[in-house]
Amino acid sequence: MRPLIHAELRRLLATRMWLGTLLVAALLGGGLIGLLALVGPENFDPPMPGLHTEAGVRAVLGFLGFTAFVPAAVGTLALTSEYRHRTITVTFLYAPDRWRVLAAKLVTYGLAGVVYGLVLSGTAAVSLFGAAAARGVTLGLPAGTVVELLARLGVAMAAYMVLGVGMGALIRHQVAALCVVVGYLYGAELLLVMIPGVRHLYPLLPGGATAALTDFTAVADALAQQLSSEPVRLLSPLAGALVLLGYTALASTAALLRPLRRDVA
Amino acid sequence: MSGVEVRGLTKRYGTLTAVDDLSFTVRPGAVTAFLGPNGAGKTTTMRMMVGHVAPTSGGVTIGGRRYRDLPRPTTVVGAAFDGAAFHPRHSARNHLRIYAAMGGHPGRRVEELLGLLGLAAAGDRATGTYSTGMRQRLSLATALLGDPGVLLLDEPGNGLDPEGTAWLRAFLRELAGEGRAVLVSSHALGEVQQVADDVVVIRRGRLVAAGALGELAGAAHVVRVSSPDADRLARVLAPAARAIDLDGPHDLRVHGLEPARIADLAAAHELRVHGLAADRPSLEELFLDLTGERTDA
Repeated sequence: MRPLIHAELRRLLATRMWLGTLLVAALLGGGLIGLLALVGPENFDPPMPGLHTEAGVRAVLGFLGFTAFVPAAVGTLALTSEYRHRTITVTFLYAPDRWRVLAAKLVTYGLAGVVYGLVLSGTAAVSLFGAAAARGVTLGLPAGTVVELLARLGVAMAAYMVLGVGMGALIRHQVAALCVVVGYLYGAELLLVMIPGVRHLYPLLPGGATAALTDFTAVADALAQQLSSEPVRLLSPLAGALVLLGYTALASTAALLRPLRRDVA
Repeated sequence: MSGVEVRGLTKRYGTLTAVDDLSFTVRPGAVTAFLGPNGAGKTTTMRMMVGHVAPTSGGVTIGGRRYRDLPRPTTVVGAAFDGAAFHPRHSARNHLRIYAAMGGHPGRRVEELLGLLGLAAAGDRATGTYSTGMRQRLSLATALLGDPGVLLLDEPGNGLDPEGTAWLRAFLRELAGEGRAVLVSSHALGEVQQVADDVVVIRRGRLVAAGALGELAGAAHVVRVSSPDADRLARVLAPAARAIDLDGPHDLRVHGLEPARIADLAAAHELRVHGLAADRPSLEELFLDLTGERTDA
């Protein structure tokens, strides 16, 4: 297994895509959070509670949850780009047990996802604390809690990158896989929960699990407000992380049952 | 070094039988040409050898084991298929390094192969900018990373210029000379005629001939017949012969019949024969004969 992971790390570093991806992480973490914090949630349209409140800090950090499609898309490419450029035929020569190829990619992209999460959360922490200091605002949450929330966001990013690997293995076609993953994260899930009854499944859907993991309840609260008065109860953070990993396991297993076994040419 | 045993190999796609009960052997220390027209099932057969395509029945063993059961397959078998299988933004060096890591092959092997295949100068260029010849050589380099004793090369001569073709021939001879079993597929016999020791010819997925090239060439009878009754003689011989070419108003080239049989048939039908000479066929004719690509007379 070790040679396969070694090779996948090499593959990951062979183009400059990794650099671009980390740059995006820094822009989203440092740039987006810095901008939101500098402007201040109280100046948003509509206005939100300021950074001196707990809700204000959670809202600003919560925006990062919406950027999960970036690591998910990067993970999707792990296998689809091999099919697209036909390197999968060479890879399967080196590893005829195809599950090992998928396993190596899950591990490699898990590591890459952690690095992505670290860059995103690290730069976000720097700019949030920096912006608060610059504006002379005392954050509505203790620094320890902010760091914990950011760490959870980082973990969520890693989980999404791995989930993307599983979805790419399942769908194989690059554009189709990207459309499904990004499309789902961006809109399909919200449409889904508008169907009566499905709403109760929200905590178990990827978005709901992410919300649980990051303690970001804006979507759940909005749902509760718009659709009924009954609030949607999210899972615990750990359960949220496990649900995300469960989706990855599900997609990977499904991929191993059929798509990955198909003849390649 | 080990050889390749193909036994009863069959692949069906729905009602289409792409490869039909194919059996042959690829021996070490020799170049075996795997011949057949386009679409005959050569690539499918080679993909089944390495597990890319699952056979419907039958199988392939290499040194007695299936490909997927080899502990480190790329140290035993190297395979290169037609068409680029590289990430266009990876350099050749990076491409080879990735697979060297995957196969646990030493990093110096990458530099060795870049040099051996004349890619050292272009090693850091993106493969997307490579010419067809360079891609063929990079495919070969990838196949050779593990220094395997068995090489399966699918149309390695495709798109090569004459210089490249000559280089490839010498290279294949060298590889076989080192004791490797080399299987080279081609739809054009001329490409491999000069290097092949053995040939395996398939047509519509079925084996039509296999054996040493010399023997096979000798086994095919082509007889030149000159006769003032050439037309009628052709009709008489047609049911028994494999093929008959009209070579002029009074001359025939008869495939797959011995001279004595031709003379007897002519005599039985009271047709005149003025000349009868066994002709050693060119391999190309033999190939066209076997694969049914000749336009029969």
